[in-house]
Amino acid sequence: MVFIKIIGCILIITSSTGMGWYFSGELKNRISDLKELKKLLFLLRGDIRYANTPLPEAVQALSIRHNGKFKQFLTVIANRLFELGGVSFCNIWKEAVEKELENTSLSKKDLIGLSQFGENLGYLDKDMQINTLDLYISQLEEEINDLSQNVKQKSYLYNSLGIMGGIFIIIVML
Amino acid sequence: MNKKDELLKIFSLKLRTMLSKVEFNYDKLQEIRLRVNGPLIVIYDNKEFFITGDSRMVEKDEDAYIILKNEIRETMEYISNFSLYAFEEEIKQGFITITGGHRVGIVGKAVLDDNKIKSIKHISFINIRLSHQIKGCGDKVLPYLLDEYNNCYHTLIISPPRCGKTTLLRDVIRQLSNGDEKRPGMTIGVVDERSEIGACYMGIPQNDLGIRTDVLDCCPKAKGMLMLIRSMSPRVIAVDEVGSGEDIDAIEYVMNCGCKLIATVHGNSIEDIKSKPILGKLVEEKLFERYILLSNAKGVGHLEDVYDANGNRI
Repeated sequence: MVFIKIIGCILIITSSTGMGWYFSGELKNRISDLKELKKLLFLLRGDIRYANTPLPEAVQALSIRHNGKFKQFLTVIANRLFELGGVSFCNIWKEAVEKELENTSLSKKDLIGLSQFGENLGYLDKDMQINTLDLYISQLEEEINDLSQNVKQKSYLYNSLGIMGGIFIIIVML
Repeated sequence: MNKKDELLKIFSLKLRTMLSKVEFNYDKLQEIRLRVNGPLIVIYDNKEFFITGDSRMVEKDEDAYIILKNEIRETMEYISNFSLYAFEEEIKQGFITITGGHRVGIVGKAVLDDNKIKSIKHISFINIRLSHQIKGCGDKVLPYLLDEYNNCYHTLIISPPRCGKTTLLRDVIRQLSNGDEKRPGMTIGVVDERSEIGACYMGIPQNDLGIRTDVLDCCPKAKGMLMLIRSMSPRVIAVDEVGSGEDIDAIEYVMNCGCKLIATVHGNSIEDIKSKPILGKLVEEKLFERYILLSNAKGVGHLEDVYDANGNRI
């Protein structure tokens, strides 16, 4: 009986610690995803600013160059834009944000921001595109800075909470 | 993608479905006109027809399909690839050239800045003029363009709108570039300011311009001609629709540096061209050695006359 209890305790501690690590890892992944997204937006801005490239071509070029988590997202958008299937750019963008970014660690807030960013792309002149991109990039930078400043503390918190939570559950159950 | 699909994909879904069911011979289709709250009109085989909601081509406008504002908006999204910003310069001039080299004229409310057209908003009228590549249409003209040593003459193709001057220019470029058994091909540089000659898509010509042709796409003619001379050393430079003062200066430069020039211009006769203040000067100075005059008296692309540098009929 004691033996089973010990095994149960180990399992609880392991899983709660794992959860702590998972959340701490997700936080770090989120920062790296946001940085990757920022890099992609820099490339998009460059393509629009210097080559006046239309969105389908620019997104397709990004999807070819990029090999990370956003590849599928960009490929789907480019393909649907080239289809000209009666759906507006902002809806194509929005649907892709909802369906194709599940493999990333972006938070709900990040996804809403990215979705809203798509609403203003393609609208009006080149200056408007550059301004929209600049604004979104600066928002991403703020987010990345905030997260980076707190990442150590939060990781420590998640890890400790994981272990402590496990111990707490064991004490309650015993 | 064939010509039909390539053209139809720029229309809103509803118009696309309707037009796809109309039995067109796309080689005879010349224009498609869309106007907000107006009937859907096509110019087919030099005649005007209305398209009905059930995809029939009729001569009276009673049953014609009336185009809605939303359909124009959706069509504009597709024409501009969801990126109107990428066509700012073209919109200022009132037209966009799409894949296939078709020219889309657009009119709406002009936005002015310092008395210059900055953009066009509320686009409500669209005219799609189809580009046709007719291989061999330059056969009749070609012998007039070459001297006994197979050197090309400085040539000006004169024609009113919709008489096939760009189509003729395209075929002349192709034939000169490829050459044949009797005549070697020559290096040709094309400055395709409106993407109508080569219909380039991502820099690759969709029309056949020959194997020795270099195409500088979307570049202002005057700048492009000088650039081509410096970079690609062409024997012949070809440009479409010359007219501005800058163009004429560049033409003089091209002619004086050993390159031959083939250009087109809007007009009905040599007299028309002479009366133009800047271009007329080149005619007076006899810089052009051949003038090809086109009309649509006996169908589009009818060769009306060929003149030499002195204005004598050949």
